[in-house]
Amino acid sequence: MVQMVASIVSLFFMSVITAIFVFVAAKSQERREYKPIKKKWYKARTFYGVTLVIAMLVVTIYTLRELPYDQPVYGAETEPTIVDVEAVQFGWIMSETEFSVGEPIEFHVTSSDVTHGFGIYDKDKNLLAQTQAMPEYTNEVYITFDKPGTYEILCLEYCGLAHHAMIGKIEVK
Amino acid sequence: MSAVISEKKSRNNLVVSYLTVGGIIILAMMVFGVLMLLAQGGSLNLSPAAFYQFLTIHGTGMVGAAALAAAGVMWYFLSKYVELSKKIAQVNLALFLIGVVMVIIGVFSFEYASAWTFLYPLPAISANAWGVTGALLYLFGMLILGIGFLLFYLDTGRAIIKKYGSLAKGLGWDVISGKKAEKDAPSSTIVASTMVTIVNITALTAGAIVLIMNIINVINPAFTFDPLLAKNLTFAFGHIFANSIIYMAVIAVYEILSKYTNRPWKANKPFLIAWTMSTAFTLVIYTHHMLMDSVMPKWMLIMGQVLSYANGLPVLVITAYGALMIVYKSGIKWDMGSGLIFLSMFGWVVGVVPAIVDATIVVNHVMHNTKWVPGHFHMYMALGACAMIFGFMYYLAKEDSNVEEQIFDKIAFLGYTLGILGLSGSFLVSGALSTPRRWATHFPEWMAPANFGAAAGVLTALSLTMFVVHFIRYLSNRNKVEMSPESKKLA
Ligand code: HEM
Ligand SMILES: [Cu+2]
Ligand SMILES: [Cu+2]
Repeated sequence: MVQMVASIVSLFFMSVITAIFVFVAAKSQERREYKPIKKKWYKARTFYGVTLVIAMLVVTIYTLRELPYDQPVYGAETEPTIVDVEAVQFGWIMSETEFSVGEPIEFHVTSSDVTHGFGIYDKDKNLLAQTQAMPEYTNEVYITFDKPGTYEILCLEYCGLAHHAMIGKIEVK
Repeated sequence: MSAVISEKKSRNNLVVSYLTVGGIIILAMMVFGVLMLLAQGGSLNLSPAAFYQFLTIHGTGMVGAAALAAAGVMWYFLSKYVELSKKIAQVNLALFLIGVVMVIIGVFSFEYASAWTFLYPLPAISANAWGVTGALLYLFGMLILGIGFLLFYLDTGRAIIKKYGSLAKGLGWDVISGKKAEKDAPSSTIVASTMVTIVNITALTAGAIVLIMNIINVINPAFTFDPLLAKNLTFAFGHIFANSIIYMAVIAVYEILSKYTNRPWKANKPFLIAWTMSTAFTLVIYTHHMLMDSVMPKWMLIMGQVLSYANGLPVLVITAYGALMIVYKSGIKWDMGSGLIFLSMFGWVVGVVPAIVDATIVVNHVMHNTKWVPGHFHMYMALGACAMIFGFMYYLAKEDSNVEEQIFDKIAFLGYTLGILGLSGSFLVSGALSTPRRWATHFPEWMAPANFGAAAGVLTALSLTMFVVHFIRYLSNRNKVEMSPESKKLA
């Protein structure tokens, strides 16, 4: 699950940063000349900077390989189910709300008034995918459900006083 | 009193007004923050209308007040290097207050609640929650406030160009290119001020355009605009303006840490390059707010991720690293000023981590517009930018009066740190649980972190109250004492 990885990665680096700040604060009361400190730590900085850039490059390349914008490559025989979604203050109008497990689905999402956010949640209230529902534009989300159950569409862009009540349901058999 | 001292005193008066207005608004807005969390946690019964009005006033008020206070910090230090117009700084403050009053009336008397992002066409299409009057009061209030800031940055730009020749020279490009020696580089204050001048003139122009678009649409809904263009302008304005707060406030870090440690923090080439990078990236990475708009050109969204990563480099490799180096084995004297300033660098850097994670497109796909987002920016804003501002307030109080720091202040320091960490941590946990942001109510499984956050928020607000009390004690004390021309208390 992406959220889990994101949280662990964040927690790890945040802990490292905390440790470094605590260390420097603990060492702040000694008094040494600045010149040698600077010389030594400028050298370390070059190493640290280069490492950071390389790490960022690696993560960038790794995380950009597959993007949610890319239409999946469907098998020769499979046709995706295209679902037209229109958001209105405050509800979801969907051309279809019943699907089956393994069925590739494309939600084509737009809005007839203000901007809304189309967020697909599973029954444990985990966010699986989202896109913006904008007037005059159609954004697409691709998803294939691999578990049956009731899924919910929650609004993820503030759209007015019933924003939090704008909940739709879809069934996957 | 000598002319120099009275000049200094009147300059300080202006800065003090900026900080007082900023500090009081920030404190007041915290109350709304706590009320929102209590409502989300199911502990307080708040109508959705009230919740979204609180959300609107909290977002607008916090960004506005922190920007004002940070502008005061920048003005204080920048005016030691260049000649700034006091008139314009006063006009900015006046327009700010007028704008704030209009926003407050619009939100509370006319129930206007578009959130501080006023995403087109929401101001005009509210499903009858608010009317034209509320929308116009809010939008014009923001426009007036924005014009004040625009004048402010036009003046800082003018003053920098007058003294250094051009904004490029203010960023030290002649040093980067080797035309000028490193030792003649502009000071870190000048470099940061030039950066903020450039990005905020851009941001405020974008903001003014999209505000006017909204105003026209509210007055006559037959006039419509491209919603994607409006969204780009909105986030160009919002992202840049909110981020500029820390780039203004960080001037206090450079100046105060070098003073406290008796170590120079000079602008060398890597420093200048880092600030040029920050200038460029801050202008373009607002697209990371639009990663969930697949109609945007794909290359722009990929650049949104790549440049958001890169935008972490200047702070991670130069500014934070520099702050650590200057403090390391320096024998620094810790007090509230230096403590908050050091804390602020920590707040900035820890806040960068979840921000960078969220700028990753695959992560953003499941974390965009969840409470992960307020999770990272409360760290960055409250523990980063605001701690810089409050640290500066203690520094100024020490320099400019003889009020003593007390044990309450130290307790408040601890309370503030733990409060913001608890608050931001609760937001991050909520985000990891997929809780949407800006929801007036939460499902039961999402309530616990909100209640925890409310408690942390109370601790934060109480601690900030102590900071403000100290500042008020300084205000009443400063007029009684003669000023020493150059303070020696810090050395
Ligand atoms: C006691 C301290 C604070 C508390 C309890 C608090 C609480 C909150 C809450 C509950 C939200 C709405 C979260 C949601 O989307 O569901 C929020 C949003 C926000 N807060 Fe705070 N906050 C605090 C301090 C600050 C500070 C110091 C700043 C900036 C200087 C700040 C800036 C913002 C901004 C810009 C938003 C976004 C508003 C929006 O989504 O339209 N907050 N805060
Ligand atoms: Cu909606
Ligand atoms: Cu909504």
